Amino acid sequence: MSPLAWWLLLALLLFCIGAFGVLARRNVIVVVMSLELMLNAVNLALVATANFRAGAPGAGTVFALFIIVLAAAEVTVGLAIVIAAYRHRRTVQADTYSELKG
Amino acid sequence: MPGGDFHPWLFVIVAAWVLVCGLGVVLFRKVMYSAVAMVFCFLGVAFAYALLNAPLLAVVQVLVYVGAISVVIIFAIMLTEVHSGPLRLFFNRQTLAAALLSLAAAAVLAVAGLSSEVESVGEKSLTPGVRELSRIVFDRFVFPFEFVSLVLVAAMVAAIVLARREEERG
Repeated sequence: MSPLAWWLLLALLLFCIGAFGVLARRNVIVVVMSLELMLNAVNLALVATANFRAGAPGAGTVFALFIIVLAAAEVTVGLAIVIAAYRHRRTVQADTYSELKG
Repeated sequence: MPGGDFHPWLFVIVAAWVLVCGLGVVLFRKVMYSAVAMVFCFLGVAFAYALLNAPLLAVVQVLVYVGAISVVIIFAIMLTEVHSGPLRLFFNRQTLAAALLSLAAAAVLAVAGLSSEVESVGEKSLTPGVRELSRIVFDRFVFPFEFVSLVLVAAMVAAIVLARREEERG
Protein backbone atom coordinates (compact mmCIF):
# COMPACT_ATOMS: atom_id res chain seq x y z
CA MET A 1 0.00 0.00 0.00
CA SER A 2 1.20 3.46 -0.84
CA PRO A 3 1.68 6.10 1.88
CA LEU A 4 -1.44 7.91 0.75
CA ALA A 5 -3.55 4.76 1.05
CA TRP A 6 -2.71 4.40 4.74
CA TRP A 7 -3.86 7.93 5.49
CA LEU A 8 -7.00 7.42 3.41
CA LEU A 9 -7.71 4.23 5.35
CA LEU A 10 -7.44 6.14 8.64
CA ALA A 11 -9.81 8.83 7.33
CA LEU A 12 -12.21 6.17 6.11
CA LEU A 13 -12.33 4.40 9.46
CA LEU A 14 -12.87 7.68 11.30
CA PHE A 15 -15.65 8.60 8.88
CA CYS A 16 -17.43 5.29 9.45
CA ILE A 17 -17.12 5.58 13.24
CA GLY A 18 -18.77 9.00 12.95
CA ALA A 19 -21.45 7.65 10.64
CA PHE A 20 -22.26 4.89 13.11
CA GLY A 21 -22.55 7.48 15.89
CA VAL A 22 -24.89 9.62 13.81
CA LEU A 23 -27.08 6.66 12.97
CA ALA A 24 -27.13 4.85 16.28
CA ARG A 25 -26.95 7.29 19.19
CA ARG A 26 -30.08 8.69 20.78
CA ASN A 27 -28.60 11.80 22.34
CA VAL A 28 -28.73 14.63 19.81
CA ILE A 29 -25.55 16.25 21.17
CA VAL A 30 -23.60 13.03 20.61
CA VAL A 31 -25.03 13.00 17.08
CA VAL A 32 -23.61 16.50 16.53
CA MET A 33 -20.24 15.34 17.90
CA SER A 34 -20.22 12.34 15.56
CA LEU A 35 -21.00 14.69 12.69
CA GLU A 36 -17.88 16.66 13.64
CA LEU A 37 -15.89 13.43 13.53
CA MET A 38 -17.11 12.82 9.99
CA LEU A 39 -16.12 16.34 8.93
CA ASN A 40 -12.68 15.80 10.46
CA ALA A 41 -12.29 12.56 8.54
CA VAL A 42 -13.11 14.30 5.26
CA ASN A 43 -10.61 17.03 6.08
CA LEU A 44 -7.98 14.43 6.85
CA ALA A 45 -8.56 12.74 3.49
CA LEU A 46 -8.34 16.10 1.69
CA VAL A 47 -5.12 17.11 3.39
CA ALA A 48 -3.51 13.70 2.86
CA THR A 49 -4.42 13.69 -0.82
CA ALA A 50 -3.17 17.24 -1.26
CA ASN A 51 0.08 16.30 0.44
CA PHE A 52 0.85 13.35 -1.82
CA ARG A 53 -0.68 14.26 -5.16
CA ALA A 54 0.12 17.07 -7.54
CA GLY A 55 -2.68 19.54 -8.13
CA ALA A 56 -3.55 23.17 -7.63
CA PRO A 57 -1.04 24.41 -5.06
CA GLY A 58 -2.54 24.80 -1.63
CA ALA A 59 -6.04 23.83 -2.70
CA GLY A 60 -6.28 20.99 -0.19
CA THR A 61 -5.30 23.18 2.73
CA VAL A 62 -7.58 26.03 1.66
CA PHE A 63 -10.54 23.68 1.18
CA ALA A 64 -9.90 22.18 4.61
CA LEU A 65 -9.81 25.68 6.09
CA PHE A 66 -13.18 26.52 4.56
CA ILE A 67 -14.63 23.23 5.78
CA ILE A 68 -13.45 24.04 9.32
CA VAL A 69 -15.18 27.44 9.15
CA LEU A 70 -18.40 25.90 7.85
CA ALA A 71 -18.22 23.22 10.57
CA ALA A 72 -18.04 25.96 13.17
CA ALA A 73 -21.13 27.61 11.68
CA GLU A 74 -22.91 24.26 11.48
CA VAL A 75 -22.22 23.31 15.09
CA THR A 76 -23.40 26.74 16.28
CA VAL A 77 -26.74 26.52 14.51
CA GLY A 78 -27.15 22.83 15.32
CA LEU A 79 -26.64 23.30 19.04
CA ALA A 80 -28.95 26.32 19.03
CA ILE A 81 -31.62 24.09 17.52
CA VAL A 82 -30.87 21.41 20.14
CA ILE A 83 -31.27 23.93 22.95
CA ALA A 84 -34.50 25.29 21.47
CA ALA A 85 -35.85 21.73 21.16
CA TYR A 86 -34.73 20.95 24.71
CA ARG A 87 -36.60 23.99 25.98
CA HIS A 88 -39.66 22.73 24.16
CA ARG A 89 -39.56 19.03 25.08
CA ARG A 90 -37.27 18.92 28.17
CA THR A 91 -35.15 16.15 26.65
CA VAL A 92 -32.37 15.67 24.12
CA GLN A 93 -33.24 12.11 23.12
CA ALA A 94 -33.75 12.04 19.38
CA ASP A 95 -36.62 9.57 19.24
CA THR A 96 -38.82 11.71 21.48
CA TYR A 97 -38.97 14.39 18.80
CA SER A 98 -41.80 12.61 17.03
CA GLU A 99 -44.55 15.21 16.75
CA LEU A 100 -44.46 15.19 12.98
CA LYS A 101 -44.61 11.42 12.78
CA GLY A 102 -47.46 10.32 10.55
CA MET B 1 4.02 2.21 5.57
CA PRO B 2 3.33 5.91 5.24
CA GLY B 3 6.37 7.68 3.98
CA GLY B 4 7.54 11.15 4.79
CA ASP B 5 10.14 12.67 6.99
CA PHE B 6 8.82 11.10 10.17
CA HIS B 7 9.13 7.69 11.73
CA PRO B 8 6.44 5.23 10.56
CA TRP B 9 5.54 4.45 14.15
CA LEU B 10 4.33 8.01 14.53
CA PHE B 11 1.60 7.22 12.02
CA VAL B 12 0.63 4.13 14.00
CA ILE B 13 0.46 6.12 17.23
CA VAL B 14 -1.62 8.91 15.67
CA ALA B 15 -3.96 6.47 13.93
CA ALA B 16 -4.53 4.44 17.09
CA TRP B 17 -5.05 7.64 19.10
CA VAL B 18 -7.61 9.08 16.64
CA LEU B 19 -9.52 5.82 16.23
CA VAL B 20 -9.64 4.98 19.94
CA CYS B 21 -10.85 8.48 20.80
CA GLY B 22 -13.38 8.36 17.94
CA LEU B 23 -14.74 5.08 19.25
CA GLY B 24 -14.88 6.69 22.68
CA VAL B 25 -17.11 9.47 21.33
CA VAL B 26 -19.56 6.93 19.96
CA LEU B 27 -19.45 4.34 22.74
CA PHE B 28 -19.18 6.27 26.02
CA ARG B 29 -22.41 6.19 27.96
CA LYS B 30 -22.00 9.60 29.58
CA VAL B 31 -22.19 12.55 27.24
CA MET B 32 -19.44 14.45 29.02
CA TYR B 33 -17.03 11.53 28.56
CA SER B 34 -17.91 11.57 24.86
CA ALA B 35 -17.08 15.28 24.74
CA VAL B 36 -13.67 14.74 26.35
CA ALA B 37 -12.93 11.88 23.94
CA MET B 38 -13.93 14.21 21.09
CA VAL B 39 -11.46 16.85 22.27
CA PHE B 40 -8.65 14.28 22.28
CA CYS B 41 -9.73 13.00 18.87
CA PHE B 42 -9.48 16.55 17.48
CA LEU B 43 -6.01 16.87 19.02
CA GLY B 44 -4.98 13.65 17.30
CA VAL B 45 -6.26 14.95 13.96
CA ALA B 46 -4.25 18.15 14.53
CA PHE B 47 -1.19 15.95 15.05
CA ALA B 48 -1.99 14.16 11.80
CA TYR B 49 -2.13 17.52 9.99
CA ALA B 50 1.28 18.36 11.40
CA LEU B 51 2.63 15.06 10.08
CA LEU B 52 1.09 15.81 6.69
CA ASN B 53 3.10 19.03 6.28
CA ALA B 54 0.16 21.29 7.05
CA PRO B 55 1.25 23.10 10.23
CA LEU B 56 -1.13 26.00 9.60
CA LEU B 57 -4.07 23.61 9.54
CA ALA B 58 -2.84 21.96 12.73
CA VAL B 59 -2.85 25.34 14.48
CA VAL B 60 -6.28 26.22 13.09
CA GLN B 61 -7.59 22.81 14.15
CA VAL B 62 -6.42 23.37 17.73
CA LEU B 63 -7.83 26.91 17.77
CA VAL B 64 -11.22 26.23 16.21
CA TYR B 65 -12.02 22.63 17.11
CA VAL B 66 -10.23 22.09 20.40
CA GLY B 67 -10.76 25.67 21.50
CA ALA B 68 -14.09 26.89 20.20
CA ILE B 69 -16.29 24.01 19.05
CA SER B 70 -15.54 21.89 22.12
CA VAL B 71 -16.46 24.78 24.40
CA VAL B 72 -19.75 25.29 22.56
CA ILE B 73 -20.58 21.59 22.76
CA ILE B 74 -19.70 21.38 26.46
CA PHE B 75 -21.88 24.44 27.10
CA ALA B 76 -24.75 22.73 25.30
CA ILE B 77 -24.24 19.59 27.40
CA MET B 78 -24.25 21.59 30.61
CA LEU B 79 -27.39 23.48 29.55
CA THR B 80 -29.32 20.34 28.71
CA GLU B 81 -28.08 17.64 31.09
CA VAL B 82 -29.41 19.21 34.26
CA HIS B 83 -31.29 16.17 35.45
CA SER B 84 -29.40 13.25 33.99
CA GLY B 85 -30.78 10.15 35.52
CA PRO B 86 -29.65 6.67 34.57
CA LEU B 87 -30.47 6.23 30.90
CA ARG B 88 -32.21 3.01 30.15
CA LEU B 89 -31.75 3.10 26.38
CA PHE B 90 -28.48 4.51 25.20
CA PHE B 91 -28.41 3.51 21.56
CA ASN B 92 -31.61 3.74 19.57
CA ARG B 93 -33.43 0.73 18.23
CA GLN B 94 -31.74 0.70 14.83
CA THR B 95 -28.27 -0.01 16.21
CA LEU B 96 -27.77 -3.26 14.34
CA ALA B 97 -28.88 -1.72 11.05
CA ALA B 98 -26.67 1.30 11.71
CA ALA B 99 -23.63 -0.88 12.39
CA LEU B 100 -24.25 -2.96 9.28
CA LEU B 101 -24.78 0.17 7.19
CA SER B 102 -21.57 1.85 8.35
CA LEU B 103 -19.59 -1.35 7.86
CA ALA B 104 -21.02 -1.68 4.35
CA ALA B 105 -20.17 1.95 3.63
CA ALA B 106 -16.64 1.32 4.90
CA ALA B 107 -16.27 -1.71 2.65
CA VAL B 108 -17.62 0.08 -0.42
CA LEU B 109 -15.43 3.13 0.16
CA ALA B 110 -12.38 0.97 0.81
CA VAL B 111 -12.91 -1.02 -2.36
CA ALA B 112 -13.61 2.09 -4.43
CA GLY B 113 -10.92 4.29 -2.97
CA LEU B 114 -8.04 2.01 -2.14
CA SER B 115 -8.14 -0.34 -5.11
CA SER B 116 -7.80 2.47 -7.63
CA GLU B 117 -4.40 3.95 -8.14
CA VAL B 118 -3.79 6.04 -5.05
CA GLU B 119 -0.10 6.13 -5.70
CA SER B 120 1.68 9.11 -4.29
CA VAL B 121 3.62 11.12 -6.84
CA GLY B 122 6.73 11.41 -4.76
CA GLU B 123 8.20 11.59 -1.34
CA LYS B 124 8.57 15.34 -1.20
CA SER B 125 5.82 17.53 0.13
CA LEU B 126 3.64 19.55 -2.21
CA THR B 127 1.97 21.66 0.47
CA PRO B 128 2.94 25.33 0.31
CA GLY B 129 3.95 27.29 3.37
CA VAL B 130 1.98 29.89 5.28
CA ARG B 131 3.17 32.82 3.18
CA GLU B 132 2.16 31.16 -0.06
CA LEU B 133 -1.10 29.93 1.43
CA SER B 134 -2.21 33.38 2.55
CA ARG B 135 -1.41 34.67 -0.93
CA ILE B 136 -3.59 31.93 -2.41
CA VAL B 137 -6.47 32.60 0.00
CA PHE B 138 -6.52 36.34 -0.59
CA ASP B 139 -5.91 36.11 -4.32
CA ARG B 140 -7.56 33.10 -5.89
CA PHE B 141 -10.04 32.28 -3.16
CA VAL B 142 -10.98 35.80 -2.10
CA PHE B 143 -14.63 35.44 -3.10
CA PRO B 144 -15.17 32.22 -1.09
CA PHE B 145 -13.34 33.90 1.78
CA GLU B 146 -15.78 36.83 1.85
CA PHE B 147 -18.72 34.51 1.30
CA VAL B 148 -17.73 32.30 4.21
CA SER B 149 -17.58 35.31 6.51
CA LEU B 150 -21.13 36.14 5.42
CA VAL B 151 -22.13 32.56 6.27
CA LEU B 152 -20.54 32.93 9.71
CA VAL B 153 -22.46 36.14 10.45
CA ALA B 154 -25.70 34.52 9.28
CA ALA B 155 -25.04 31.47 11.47
CA MET B 156 -24.32 33.67 14.50
CA VAL B 157 -27.54 35.64 14.06
CA ALA B 158 -29.50 32.44 13.48
CA ALA B 159 -28.07 30.83 16.60
CA ILE B 160 -28.99 33.84 18.71
CA VAL B 161 -32.50 33.95 17.30
CA LEU B 162 -33.02 30.21 17.77
CA ALA B 163 -31.64 29.91 21.27
CA ARG B 164 -33.21 33.08 22.66
CA ARG B 165 -35.91 32.57 25.22
CA GLU B 166 -39.37 33.39 23.97
CA GLU B 167 -40.54 36.66 25.46
CA GLU B 168 -43.91 38.17 25.92
CA ARG B 169 -44.77 40.11 22.82
CA GLY B 170 -46.58 43.29 23.70
